[in-house]
Amino acid sequence: MDSMIHDMAERLFRDHVSHGLREDAAAGQCPEPLWTQIEQAGLHMALVPEEAGGFGVPPAEALGLVRIAGAHGLPLPLAETLIGNAVLARAGLALPGGRLTIAEGEVLQLERRGGAVHASGHLTLVPFARWADRIVTIAALDGADHVLSLPVKDLTVTPAQDLAGMPRDDVAVDLDLPGANAAALPGSMGGMRGLGALVRSLATAGAMETILKMSVEYANDRVQFGRPIGKFQAIQQYLATMAGETAASRTAAEMAADSYDTPAFALTVAAAKIRAGDAAETVGALAHQVHGAIGYTQEHALHHFTKRIWSWRDEFGTELDWTRELGRAALSSPQGTFWHFITDSTAQGTPA
Amino acid sequence: MTLTAFPPPPPGADHDDLRQEVRAFLAEELADFPPEKRAESWNGFSRDFSRRLAQRGWVGMTFPEEYGGHARSALERYVVSEELLAAGAPVISHWIADRQSGPLILAKGTEDQKRQIVPRIAAGELCFCIGMSEPDSGSDLAATRTLATEVEGGFRVNGTKVWTTYAHVADYMILFCRTGKSEDRHGGMSQFLIDLKATENIQISPIIDLGGEHHFNQVIFDDTFLPSDALLGEQGEGWSQVISELAFERSGPERFLSSFALIEELIRVLRQDATEAQQAEIGRLSAHLMVLRQMSRSVAGMLNEGKNPALQAAIVKDLGALFEQDIPRLARSLVSRPAVPGGGDSYAAVLAYTALAVPSFSLRGGTREILRGIIARGLGLR
Repeated sequence: MDSMIHDMAERLFRDHVSHGLREDAAAGQCPEPLWTQIEQAGLHMALVPEEAGGFGVPPAEALGLVRIAGAHGLPLPLAETLIGNAVLARAGLALPGGRLTIAEGEVLQLERRGGAVHASGHLTLVPFARWADRIVTIAALDGADHVLSLPVKDLTVTPAQDLAGMPRDDVAVDLDLPGANAAALPGSMGGMRGLGALVRSLATAGAMETILKMSVEYANDRVQFGRPIGKFQAIQQYLATMAGETAASRTAAEMAADSYDTPAFALTVAAAKIRAGDAAETVGALAHQVHGAIGYTQEHALHHFTKRIWSWRDEFGTELDWTRELGRAALSSPQGTFWHFITDSTAQGTPA
Repeated sequence: MTLTAFPPPPPGADHDDLRQEVRAFLAEELADFPPEKRAESWNGFSRDFSRRLAQRGWVGMTFPEEYGGHARSALERYVVSEELLAAGAPVISHWIADRQSGPLILAKGTEDQKRQIVPRIAAGELCFCIGMSEPDSGSDLAATRTLATEVEGGFRVNGTKVWTTYAHVADYMILFCRTGKSEDRHGGMSQFLIDLKATENIQISPIIDLGGEHHFNQVIFDDTFLPSDALLGEQGEGWSQVISELAFERSGPERFLSSFALIEELIRVLRQDATEAQQAEIGRLSAHLMVLRQMSRSVAGMLNEGKNPALQAAIVKDLGALFEQDIPRLARSLVSRPAVPGGGDSYAAVLAYTALAVPSFSLRGGTREILRGIIARGLGLR
């Protein structure tokens, strides 16, 4: 797909997301100047409809930015901000600008207090919370999904991190939200778990494309027994396997992105997250096998990508959560219609 | 186009009306077709079924109307193909001709060949087999030794083909062999269209597989005379002609649905009260199936646009074979019931048939190792 915003993101990340920048971020330093450039390019608004300030690109194209960010190991909440802004816009809430993050809000207690909504509870493993201005979350109020826009300055954030050293913070919530920061969510977006799983699946596919590329380059360059190791059939079989897993993962993630905001999304995103997780297992293991000992060092860039895909497997629903959910749906299809379940679940959705 | 990008199938690829028509047809045709027959998947043979399918316009769908076809898209054909496979319909009688031989004749054949053969394929009347492998030429197709020597009025062929599926019932064979010497390993190869019912000095004998089934044959050419007009395409261009067939052969739904009868049995057995662990495994299976289907439909879309997605096809076949081969293991990990060939319980019988079928899935149509070699070359491994 030729896409101007993809080209723009590719250039920006290629020029600015270096091994050093990822190292510094893992050590706790937020790359502020790069975020400023992302905002200046408007990338953070790409998933917002044109009337709410976006560029009017199709959602699947906007979501493609997440795969590209994953391919560069971008240590910033671009995916989270894209989703956060899209959800706020759908609920008719103000788009506050700045960095946003997202969290599954089902654990929060909500109650109406006068004209406000009181939210309380504990959010765990919130991506980049300490670098974010707001947490956008979805929780049930009066039996319907509601979007909450939580200002981080009014929350208590306790730092924690994922396997790749990226912020995944604990957040204590106990505040009143005025109407401007809480509203019902219409449409077929679903909950934050599915939206989070979508962006993690896309980012995983992108990261795996980079891992594959690094592995092919290494296999062509590294000489042992008098020839590049990529000449050995065993290594070629590993790399071919990685390519297959990467392709499957990308196809799955893009299938989910294509059905974003349609009824089909509930099942395609399950398939995407499951397939990404399975691929992460194989691709991560084989990439390290191809790279040998050097790939196991801090000095080599490989670990930034493999640790990310291993982390993302567990986020926004573990593989076990998603496999059970999809399996329950499959087994509840009427007798003799499992095939219909498969064709219906991968049918192209019509935009809501 | 990068190797790991599979563009989504084009809009409208679902063809719901067609799908419902095919489902209704199959529900009636196969009402009494038992699970253990469905387990044979696309190896099931029925000339009657192929003819009735053709009467509905569902054989030779993509062929031009002037040759008896229906001028429909590769994606419409895909819908029919996957519905046939999911139902376990006995399709092999027309399958190879419809999938690759017909398109090959249309692309490379003479006007006479097209007029004489293609309409009969579209009518579901002709069964084709493919004479490719030889005793000393399996994965290494370029090691082919069978030789067609030019003589007055045609060629004399000598050599032996093996693993020739359904040669014992087929009407035609597409033979791949040498027609000359060449410095280039891939040069000097040609393809022939052989009328097996009308050609003398061809000896076809069965090779029984480990499941006791007769699908394979050995085919011996003993100074077999082929008329000049049996040559298919250009003399000496056989290699490139064969390679261009492969994207059709390797990416279809038959590359991941061969064990579907066992999946159906497994779901039937687990439906009532699956544990969470069983649910999770069915969820994983479903995810893989959804994604393989999307990748395969993506390749159908690329073929429909006239692209040559040979690399993507190799990826689909490699992943698809892993998936369909894994189903017996998965079934055993979820259900404690032994496999019993021809057993009274359909689960036991289908498990038995499928367990013995799966080793062939990563051999036929290009071994796993060959496919991965192709993918590795596509990755730029020098």
